[in-house]
Amino acid sequence: MNPSDSDASRFRSVPTDRRGERDLDDLLIHVARGDQTAFETLYDRLAGPVYGVIRRVLKNPSQSEEVAQEVLLEVWRTAARFDPALGGAATWVMTIAHRRAIDRVRSVTAATEREHKIAEVDTPHDEVAEAVEASLDAERVQRCLGGLTEIQREAITLAYYGGHSYRQVAELLSVTLGAVKTRIRDGLIRLRDCLAVS
Amino acid sequence: MKLFRHDLHSLSGAYALDALEQGAESERFARHLNRCPSCASEVREFREVATALAFAATTEPPPELRDRVLAAAALTRQLPPEVTSHPRSHRARGRARARVPWVPWLSGVVVVVVVVIAVLFGYAQAHTEQELNQVRAQNQAIALVLSAPQAKLLTHATTKGGMATVVLAADRHQMVVTTEGLPALPAGKVYQLWLISPSKTISAGLLPTATSGQTGPVLASGVVEGDTLGLTVEPAPGTTQPTTTSILTLPLPV
Repeated sequence: MNPSDSDASRFRSVPTDRRGERDLDDLLIHVARGDQTAFETLYDRLAGPVYGVIRRVLKNPSQSEEVAQEVLLEVWRTAARFDPALGGAATWVMTIAHRRAIDRVRSVTAATEREHKIAEVDTPHDEVAEAVEASLDAERVQRCLGGLTEIQREAITLAYYGGHSYRQVAELLSVTLGAVKTRIRDGLIRLRDCLAVS
Repeated sequence: MKLFRHDLHSLSGAYALDALEQGAESERFARHLNRCPSCASEVREFREVATALAFAATTEPPPELRDRVLAAAALTRQLPPEVTSHPRSHRARGRARARVPWVPWLSGVVVVVVVVIAVLFGYAQAHTEQELNQVRAQNQAIALVLSAPQAKLLTHATTKGGMATVVLAADRHQMVVTTEGLPALPAGKVYQLWLISPSKTISAGLLPTATSGQTGPVLASGVVEGDTLGLTVEPAPGTTQPTTTSILTLPLPV
């Protein structure tokens, strides 16, 4: 292990990756010490993807706003629990955001509300095409998604953006559970290599 | 059905996308991760892929969210760092928690700053010493609910728009309710909260008049298992039983 790993200053000396994860790690560490200015900057960097992914899963704008607010406050409140040695700040925050959106989707009340909408929303291709900002990230992701097989892409999109469990995905795509598990995993491996995040 | 080890491995993708069924399946895989460093490493990579998917979905949130979140953060106490050398703090989490270090522990409990803001509104609206004292006393009671270790935050949209935020302290059988963005009512009408159980319905208080679309906190006691929170429009000054259809049906997990 590199001895400098324990030195917090490494975040400033290491070049940022494409998403600026190092900067975000540093910001989050400052947020954990109660630095409200750092939290404002973090908000400006992450509120868009937080709200975006929640909105993609929940569809309903006011519910999405509620959940985004909960998530962002949870980030503020629990920032001290973030450990940069175990993963990037963006991943930490997006994991909370997606998990919260899924919790909301699978709560009983939301499930009934969703029933009405389910027929109209499950169009993974359109959803990808909809990807809001023509940022480098979005372009890269779309290009990499385009490199998957159709069933891999649909399985991943339905699970992540659609908020469906893999059992529901199997039903929607009329394939076996085993096939869905494998397609999701193979698709993610391919995406990982394409995005070179490993 | 017993899953073989190799089947468990293949769940890493679904797990990383939160696509396992909640409960036993997800917990079993989380336990498996503790024993399988390569699976844990794979999940971590997949979560990074998921992060890229989230960034690709970037959508500008409504601008007022920024003010709300920042104002709320300024009033929210942060958790101290976890002292990992203290084994009890881990054990307290319970064995079912995913010991996946980079997956944040999702407590389901959020300090409810919305309510804190509403409390501040209460101060702003108090004009006399007596009113101020009443606000202080009520705020102490509310603070006890907000600081209860098992407090849960629930938010739910009403059927007429706007949303209700509830902090439920099940062990105290109390809750604090605030709302935001409910439609304004004509003169002579009030919003009334109800605790609805299969056997009876009791009033849980009236919502105060909204300030900037938000209503100050209402403290309700006597919440018991099986209660559902309801909200109706009633003639002032409220009724003993609801006379209109509830615009909110929020089961209270006591």
